[in-house]
Amino acid sequence: MFLQIVTVLGFLLVTRIYVVVSSPSPKPRRRDDGETCVLAVFLGSGGHTSEALTLTSSLDFSRYSPRIYIVSEGDTLSASKAVSLEHSKASRNPIPGSDGQRSFEIVTIPRARRVHQAMWTVFPTFMRSVLACIHLVTIAPLLKKDSFSTPFAHLLILNGPGTCVTLCAAVMVNKLLGLPRPKMVYVESYARVQSLSLSGKILRYFVDRFLVQWPTLISGSGREECYGCLV
Amino acid sequence: MLVFVTVGSTKFDALVQATISEPVLTALHTKGFVQVVLQRGNSILDPDCGASTQDSLTTRKAGVDIEAWKFKPSIQDEIERADLVISHAGSGTILDVLRSGKPLIVVPNPTLMDNHQKELALQLDRLGHLRATSVDDLPKTIGSFDANALVPFPAFDGSKFRRLVDEMMGFTDM
Repeated sequence: MFLQIVTVLGFLLVTRIYVVVSSPSPKPRRRDDGETCVLAVFLGSGGHTSEALTLTSSLDFSRYSPRIYIVSEGDTLSASKAVSLEHSKASRNPIPGSDGQRSFEIVTIPRARRVHQAMWTVFPTFMRSVLACIHLVTIAPLLKKDSFSTPFAHLLILNGPGTCVTLCAAVMVNKLLGLPRPKMVYVESYARVQSLSLSGKILRYFVDRFLVQWPTLISGSGREECYGCLV
Repeated sequence: MLVFVTVGSTKFDALVQATISEPVLTALHTKGFVQVVLQRGNSILDPDCGASTQDSLTTRKAGVDIEAWKFKPSIQDEIERADLVISHAGSGTILDVLRSGKPLIVVPNPTLMDNHQKELALQLDRLGHLRATSVDDLPKTIGSFDANALVPFPAFDGSKFRRLVDEMMGFTDM
């Protein structure tokens, strides 16, 4: 009897995951000019940070406000680059009426795997990172007022590496539970010409839009879109 | 004329050591370069001294003034000042140099595992935006280098990504 219940529950879960993962994202509702979206950007350090910030700089900050920059623990360089982007945007075209309002914040999450970390010690580190992402994406918004209609961000920009997979996993938890979630756009690094990165190979099945910057990366899967160099 | 050589913050001993070697300096001098500014990052400059701990040093060899730094405070200033840049294949550095409109020779680091950096350098070489070479072929590449033959790199265009995201979020009609 117990076994049958477990089997049925397991079957339902698998069906739910399949339906959720394979369902196309709904057409966005029309947003009016005065409306704003909360934007979250993962800064993956080094070249990933430069690319993610260049992508962010393309956007109209009066529409995408506030902005949440997600950095890995200890990555102070990415955090300071995000602050200098904010300063240069603010000095170029100050947004009227936004004085004193916090227009951006920097959130730190533990790394999924440290550089050169032995594989057998990765699991606890990885779980700590997953829990931090689930806290940010799933739990913290529930503890706020009006949380059932507001995700932690409306849009999440991902560019790799590693830790952005755990962020995406947390967003999938929201999707499975039917909670509000951000739309996700993954942009494969400009440095990837012949083959996708490991993060890209995994995430292309889960994100709403998957952009590559070289046409050589378009496969038959129909997931990749290419508009040339975006950075 | 001034050449700026950078390996970013990486360890690429072969390139920094080649930069101050006789064949490379002679090739540069023949092309009219009289000054080299080198950012070595975490690379070892002089194998005889083991790890070079000095942050900066200056010397003169083969008619060329050499300034070697561990890190320069602003890479962008050095790029602007240079007439030619020789760099490792880091995508950030490549984009910075090409967007500054400076002639660029890229030397991918062959000791990197999963060397996708090399792919980018070779692709941009094929498109004519830069010259990609190896440490061994560097003097030859400098000798045959013609900055006027390079294809200008397109300027940054944020409108594609902006339009795509605005559509996705419902700010403009699909």
